[in-house]
Amino acid sequence: MQTTIKIGDKIYQIEISEAEENLLKVKVNNKEYFFTKNELSESNLDDFCAKALDKETKENGVVFRERIEKEIKSPLAGTISSIAVKIGERLKPGKKVATLIAMKMENEIVSEGYGKIKEIKVKENQFVDSGDTLIILE
Amino acid sequence: MIIKNYKTLKSTNLKARELAQKGADPWTIVVAEEQTGGYGRKKTAWSSPKDGLYFSIILPKSNIDDLQTLTILAAFICAKTIKENFNLEPFIKLPNDIWINGKKVAGILTENIIGKDVKLSVMGIGLNTNIAKLPQDLENIATSLRIELGKEVDNQKILEQIIKALKEQLKTISE
Repeated sequence: MQTTIKIGDKIYQIEISEAEENLLKVKVNNKEYFFTKNELSESNLDDFCAKALDKETKENGVVFRERIEKEIKSPLAGTISSIAVKIGERLKPGKKVATLIAMKMENEIVSEGYGKIKEIKVKENQFVDSGDTLIILE
Repeated sequence: MIIKNYKTLKSTNLKARELAQKGADPWTIVVAEEQTGGYGRKKTAWSSPKDGLYFSIILPKSNIDDLQTLTILAAFICAKTIKENFNLEPFIKLPNDIWINGKKVAGILTENIIGKDVKLSVMGIGLNTNIAKLPQDLENIATSLRIELGKEVDNQKILEQIIKALKEQLKTISE
């Protein structure tokens, strides 16, 4: 299985294959990482990619700021008209988390990185200021 | 400027969003002769029978701080276009509607996708131009240029004037 992920300006070619029984090989830009199937509690492609990128991050000491999210803040002031996620849900780049109405514009607020939702700090119909924390991630 | 004309669309905003996500260039314009699911804010229906002017613009990405001026700017341009072409007295019901003689004639819905920056920005404009008769439930609250003027107007000319003016005005705040 192959896929391409773009984070910030960097493009990652990711290839996942079964190296042995119960051992998966995840190749990230020609670097290989191995996981037992038990390491991957969830079996969707996004999680594979996230965990492979985690390994690369740790091994190379590189921090991708765009990816490691601790919280999602409101980019502008307005009223939260709907919340599109739940506590415990895993996010990936581009995932819609809420809709905010400002000056009668509809703004979909999306995640910039990967993370798991720990707390949702706002409710529907709540007014938020620009910079207010909407979601806290684990 | 690329203008994509469609006979019928569910919504020009939805089509513009779809095209933008597939990589269509800013200032791609999506025009539909009629919309079957036209909507305004909070997904309230926008009646879009044939003979109106319904279009959406894929906007260049603005700074987040500039987003809030987009709709007002477009409302001002639409009102100015109506006033200058037809000698009518449009009233801007801030920030996104235009009224003539106490009835709504145009509406604007800007939709953005935002992370740490603006990922996508689409502006939809619905202008009741040549609609001869509005649905009964809207007759008291909406109007059209044709009803106000007693004659048809040139949809293509109005479209081009609005886009040209918007492009000119947005130059200063977009990339």
